[in-house]
Formats: sequence, structure tokens, C-alpha cells
Amino acid sequence: MAEATPSKHEARRHHRQFPWSRLVRLFQKELKETIRDRRTIVTLLLMPLLVYPILSMALNRFLLASSAATSGYTVCVASDGEASQLDAWLGDPRSVPPQAIRQSSGDRLAKFLVTVAADGTAEQAVARNEVDIGVKIDRPGTRTPTATIYSYRGDTTSEAARRVLVERLQWLELADAQIVVRRALPGYPPPVIVKVEDVGEAKKGDMLATIVPLVLVLMTITGAVYPAIDLTAGERERGTMESVMASPVPRGYVLIAKYFAVVVVALFTALANLVGMFTTLWAGGLLGILTGDAGVPWIAILRILGLLVLFSGFFSALLLSLTSFARSFKEAQAYLIPVMLLSLTPAMLSLMPGATLSGAMAIVPLVNIVLLARDVLSGSVDPAGALAAVVSTIAYAAAALSIAAKLFGSDAVTRTSEKSIGSLFHRPRLASSHPSPQSAALMLALLVPIYFVVSNGLMKFLQHFSEVVSVEAQLLFNAAALIFTFGLVPLLAAYLGRNRLLSTYRVHRVRAVCYLGAVLLGLGSWTIAHEAFVVADAIGIGGLGEDQISQAQQMIEKMRQASPWLLLAVFALTPAVIEELCFRGYLFSALEDALTPTRTILITASLFGLFHVLTGNALLLERFIPSTLMGLIIGWVAYRSGSVLPGMIIHFVHNGLLNLVLYYAEKLNFLGEGFDNQAHLPPHWLAIAGMMVAMGAALVWLSTRGQRTTQAPSP
Amino acid sequence: MLIVDSLTKTFPLDEGTVCAVDRLSFQVRASEVYGLLGPNGAGKTTTLRMILGLLVPDSGYAEVNGVRTANDPIAVKSRLGFVSASDGVYPWLSVREMLLYFGDLYGVDPQIAETRSEELARVMSISDLLDRRAGTLSTGQRQRVTLVRGLIHDPPVMLLDEPTRGLDVVGVQTIFDYIEHLRELGKAVVVCTHRLDEAERLCDRFGLLHRGRLTHEGTLAELQRSSGCEHLVEMFVDLMRS
Repeated sequence: MAEATPSKHEARRHHRQFPWSRLVRLFQKELKETIRDRRTIVTLLLMPLLVYPILSMALNRFLLASSAATSGYTVCVASDGEASQLDAWLGDPRSVPPQAIRQSSGDRLAKFLVTVAADGTAEQAVARNEVDIGVKIDRPGTRTPTATIYSYRGDTTSEAARRVLVERLQWLELADAQIVVRRALPGYPPPVIVKVEDVGEAKKGDMLATIVPLVLVLMTITGAVYPAIDLTAGERERGTMESVMASPVPRGYVLIAKYFAVVVVALFTALANLVGMFTTLWAGGLLGILTGDAGVPWIAILRILGLLVLFSGFFSALLLSLTSFARSFKEAQAYLIPVMLLSLTPAMLSLMPGATLSGAMAIVPLVNIVLLARDVLSGSVDPAGALAAVVSTIAYAAAALSIAAKLFGSDAVTRTSEKSIGSLFHRPRLASSHPSPQSAALMLALLVPIYFVVSNGLMKFLQHFSEVVSVEAQLLFNAAALIFTFGLVPLLAAYLGRNRLLSTYRVHRVRAVCYLGAVLLGLGSWTIAHEAFVVADAIGIGGLGEDQISQAQQMIEKMRQASPWLLLAVFALTPAVIEELCFRGYLFSALEDALTPTRTILITASLFGLFHVLTGNALLLERFIPSTLMGLIIGWVAYRSGSVLPGMIIHFVHNGLLNLVLYYAEKLNFLGEGFDNQAHLPPHWLAIAGMMVAMGAALVWLSTRGQRTTQAPSP
Repeated sequence: MLIVDSLTKTFPLDEGTVCAVDRLSFQVRASEVYGLLGPNGAGKTTTLRMILGLLVPDSGYAEVNGVRTANDPIAVKSRLGFVSASDGVYPWLSVREMLLYFGDLYGVDPQIAETRSEELARVMSISDLLDRRAGTLSTGQRQRVTLVRGLIHDPPVMLLDEPTRGLDVVGVQTIFDYIEHLRELGKAVVVCTHRLDEAERLCDRFGLLHRGRLTHEGTLAELQRSSGCEHLVEMFVDLMRS
């Protein structure tokens, strides 16, 4: 009857293969449940069907009112004599403003439609709001008649009409005075001759870049709110939460299925709204106001679709994390209303022309994606800022989801000791051998902005004070920044998660042969990284521009002032220890129990590559492929050996060798092409390096053979 | 089949702690119905949640078919069926869709889950409800759907938490028939209830819980001999007064 009792570690490894088809079916159930709910249908369909036609009508009314300047203002006078006098003034070419003024206001001349009041005076006609303005002319037809102009107080159209008419009559007076002056003083020189000219091309579609991010924020939130509440807090209210938690599906998977359902509903709601908005504007002939011309902006629509995914992904995660905490619909709504209001503030930033997607703005949640949306739609995207915005947003979404996974379902079993917000930050009572993937996601979410701020700040500081601060001090600052970010953030996360440090960082001794293999891999692998860089450059991925090459050469020259030992300590030893503890230590141990080895290696290597791309405000794309390749090699060794230590050796040898080659580049010219430019390395060098890599890999493999199956996991 | 050994759980309070379950031990064999009885707050639900792996015990362990909850909670959960009186339904799904969803949660192949749903629906007389939207069901019909849901993965051990709460006479009889059906299927069944009269009719053995401790355990005849009382109700009144 009794089955073989598996250890905790074996059990986790056994269950980590969760079939995709099962996850898809869980997602389908969540989606079905949400879509069938009539409240979802109201948000999804009724809003766009009703709101936009109404908005469009309101906009039409507004535009009709504001387009009076081109169609003409209505002016009322009391008698035919006054009408003839006013027509004569307005028809007099001297009442037309000079060319420079006309051109400065769009070369449009306001028209006036003069009518005679059928009943009462001009003043009374204005008071009854029958006309825009009224004019009373005393002594029409005499040498100096008096014109009194009436406008409706507080009515912008009426006041604008009065202003324009006053100006026209003033120009008449000035032009008359000018003629008199020229007659009296033939040589009278005007103090200045004014001309105006336009340069550049007219900007089109600015309204699109301003309005659409706002619509995206509002509509993705609107779309995500109801399913987020229903699929989390609603699960508790229905009494289905405990049954779901009692089932053998890790709660993270249940939550991921719910997350994708919320994303899909949010996506479709926003899409339905955009379709509603564009269709209504198109049908009402108002599309040109949004896009700058009469055509359908297909490219912009494609860009908006891409942005929709980002917005929906972010808001769905954020809302799920909040609703997972709520115990009822009411409580969830109470949490979400402030979030909706808060979300509008950064969304309004897209209306401010001064705000740019750079510096800290690129990593401030929501502000960054609103600004990115604005830039994408106006066609002026800064790639570095865009990547920082996308990466940080994904990190925030992952963090929000990991918080949601931590909270989701906890209430099903804690009725006797209800959780508070503070419980999220409490250290667990029992120590664990490694962090959970959710904790790793939270750590990454914290690391991205901290890394961005620290590296950006350091770069600015060094640019500012490079003359004052010595090269040695600059190097030490670099090392300190690395320790502060990749060292302290995971350490803090391990402390808060009460993770045992040795097992979390995977610090285990391995056989001496494995270390020897690591040295050989380090000695040979830099050539692989170099060749990957050259190939990437040749196919147009990254590569260095002339400016970058000259900057790098200046940097190398500067570094040559420092001791090679210091260079090795800063650029080889510190990253080898700190980055390895972070990527092949903390992150690797967090992922390896939940994922297959291949996925663990791929994810940690990609993250390793990505962090090497994002350095301060620069986007070093050319570093992605070589760094990821190194991440793959070290990841494989970390997996085989079960330890972070051989990876540290590879990293140290690789970085150290590169730095020494750069340091002594002039003395190494005799080695041939490739050491001093971006060309392929000499074939014999590649052959030697290839042999080293093969031998190193073989030694690592041999020294760890059998270890993967017999290795006892840490308790 | 089910072994509970020295299971202990303490909850923190504003001032001090409360021991909800105190060194609780019992065993349930196949085809046996075990009544875990006690007043509200005795620790019955907490015990079930520790067996299910929803709560981590301070000490002791629960073992299902030789697998301990602490070692492999997922394997243990897949061997347990759990039905509670507070279980709800998904109002916008049909009964069939809901049963298939729970089949998926328990890793049952969709085709097998479909066949089992049909079979269990026949046994529980809900075949005509399979394609009805769950939100339109009456309380009694929902209860039967929940009972079918608990068996969708054919678990060897069933945990029933206050299964008759809020049900009318017909509903209670349905539960009795269901438990009889489980016994016939060879399941080990734990019934947590404070309805002692019902427990007397249902269970083979009893464990009397008071303030987290198992004060009496045995068959009805054994308990009558040791306590000198005829019925469980009298035993409990004595226990509460002592």
C-alpha cells in the first residue's frame, strides 16, 4: 500500500514539468468564465458602442463652435444705414491686417455676416444670444461716426468676434493715419519692416500621440478591473478558493492562467475602444484632427497594437496583485479606485511636451510606458529609453505577479490569522535552502531600477568630475556600484526570504579537475565572445560606431594610467564574484527547482546578457550576444557542477584576459590581426582557443559525471 | 491509508498564542469512515487543512498512502478528495465544464474526466444538470455537484468538512448515500462534523476533539464502554463540563 517516499527535492523536480496543454485549458476556463459574465460584456462592448458616438457628437459640437472663425461671425446692427456703413468698413482693404500679421495667424481672415435686427436693438439681439456680436453706429455716413460693439459676457466666441472686429477697425484707422503721415512727411522711414516665414515640415498627428496613451491607460484599466476582481476576490466570495487551493496545482500556475485571461480581456477592451474611437471619428469626418491628415493611420494602429500588449500586461499584473489581497469584491474595489486615479496622473504627463523618456523617467512605472507610447506614436523613439522602459515594465509586472502569487489563496487558509499588508514584508519563520521564483522576480524588479539609477548616476558623476577624481578612484567607484547593485540587492532579498546563504548562492566545493576545466574554458571562451561580437557586427546587430570606438580607446588610454592589478580587481575579480553570485547563485537556485535545466540556463544567460546591454543611459546592444553566450557557457558549468565557484573562475579568467590584452595591446601587435581591431582572430588562435574550450568542457563534464544524479540536495 | 501523527498547530493571537491542534494522532483504513467530532473551534478544520498541506504544522506529520504532506504536498493533494459545506460553484460555467476544470486541476486526462463526470453524475442523479449553468442550481443540486467534484480524480482518501451543514432532510440523506457509496468504493473517509447524531449513523470509528486534543477514540461500542454513556451527545456534554 505504501509508496516510495520521495524527498522534498525529488518531489519538486518531479512536479516541475507542468504540461502547457493543461495550463492552456486552465486559461480557457478563466477566460470562458469572465467572457460569459454580462458585466464583462458591458465593459467590453457597451462602452465603445455608446461612449464614442456620444463623445464624437460632443466633439463635433465643440468644433462647430470653434470653427466660427473660418465660417464667419454673425454681427447685428439696428438699421440698414448702419449695415451699409459696417459693410463698407469691412470691405475696405485698409481694414485688412498687414501681410505679416495675417501670415502669423494662419493667413485666415475672419468673415462677418452683417444682419439687421428684426426686433429691437443690436444690444438686445446679443443679450438674447441670437448673434455673436452687435454693433451700434452713431452718425453713420458722417466723417467720424462712433461704433459701439456689444459682446456676450463670458462667451468665448462672442468675445473673439468682438476682438477681431475691434482689430479690423483699428487697422482701418492706422492705415488711414499712415496715408496721412506719408503725405505730410514723404521721407518718413518706418522704424522696422516685418516679414514672416515658415521653415521645416508641418507636424502631423500630434493629437494622436497625446490622446491615445491616455485612452490606453483608461481603457486597459477599465478592461482589467472587473476580471481581476472576479477571478481573485470573486473566487473567495463564491467559496471556490479553498477547493482550488486543495488541488495539486501550484498556485503560481492558477494565477498565470488568471493573469492571461485578464490580459486578454484588457487587450480586447482597449482594442474595442480604439476601434470604436477611430471608427466614430472616421465616420464623423474627424479623423484628420487626430492624425493630421484624412487617411487611416495604419502604421500608427500597428504600433498601438504593440503598445496595447505592454499596457495590458502591466495593468493586469498590477491589478491582480491588489485584488489577490482583497477578501471581497467591495474590498477589491476600494483598493482599485485610488489606483485608477493615481494612474491618470502619469498618463497626463504625455500632455506635457517637456517630459522625455530618459533618465529616471525611463524607469518610473507607468510614466515610462505612457511616454514611450507618446514617442512611438509621434515616431521619435530613443532606443535606450525605450528598452529601459520595456525591461523595467516587464520587471514590475513580474514583481506584481509574484506578489499576487504570494497573496493569492493565502486567505483560503488563514481565516484564523488574517494576513495584513505588513505580512508581505515579514521574514518567513523557517529558513529555506533557496529563494522561490516569485522572490527572484521581486528581486529583479528591485534590481532593474536600482541598477539603472546607480549606473546612470555614476556615469554622470564621472563625466562631471573626471578631471578631479583620479583614475584609481573612478575604478573603485565602478566596483562599489557593482557590489551595491548585483551584490547587495540579492543579499537583501536572501535575508528577507530567510534563505540559507550557502545553498542560495550555490557555494559548494567541487573536484579540482572541475576548476582546471573552468580555467581552460575561461582561457578559450573569450575568443568565442570576440567572434560572436564580430559576427554580430557583420550582420548589423550592434557593432561599434566610430564615436564609440574612439570613446573606448580614450577609456583604454585612461585605464592604462592605473595599475594592471587594480584593473584586474575591478573588471575581473569583482564582476566574477558579484555577478556570478547574483546570476548563477541566487537566480539559478531560485529557478532550477521550478524549471528544467535548459530553461534555467537560458533565462539566467539572457538576463545576464540584458543587464550588460543596459549601462547607464547608453544602450550597448553589441554586448548582448557575447554576454549571453558567456552566460550560457557559465550556466552549463554551474548546472553540471551544482556550484557557483567554477563559473567565478571562468568569469575571472575571461574578463582578466580581455583586460590584460587591452592593457598590453601595443606590446601584443606581433600576434597579428584581430587583437587591435574588430576583425576575426587569426585561425591558429581560434584553433588553440577552440581546443581549450573543448578540453575545459570535457574536464567539467568528466569531473561532474554521475554527480547530477547522486548529488544530495541541500535541506 | 491515512496516518496522522502528533500533528500540532499553534496560531498567534494579539496576546500570546492559541494551540488549535495539540499532538493529534489517528489512522483511517480503506473502506472505513472516521468521524472527527468536536464543537466549533475544536480544531477539526485546521486538522484537515494540515492534512491537505494548506497549513504547515508546527510539528508532527500527515501521511497519505505512504507520502508525507510536508515532503510532497502535490502528490498528497492528488490522492485526497476534499468537500466542504462552504464550497461554491462557478456561476457562469456549466456543471460539466466545472467538473472538467477540477479534472484539469487534479491532472486527470480530459477524456477520462469526461467519462468519470458522466458516471458520477449518474450515481448522484445529476445527469440532467450536466449542461446547466451552475449559477442556476438550487442549494441541494449544488451540494451534489460539489460531491461529484470531490471524486473526479478518484482519490483513495476523502475529507468531508461539515458536509451536512445547511442542508434539508433530503440533502442530508444524499450525503449519507454518498458516504455509503465511498465506503463501497473502498475509500478511507474522514468526516468532520459537530452533528453527533448524524455521525453516529455514519461513522465506523470516532475521534472526539476538544480544544485541539483527541480525548476519546474508538468505535461507538468502545466509547460507550469507556465513558458509560449511551450516545455521543452525552459523552460530549460530559467532556465539555469536565
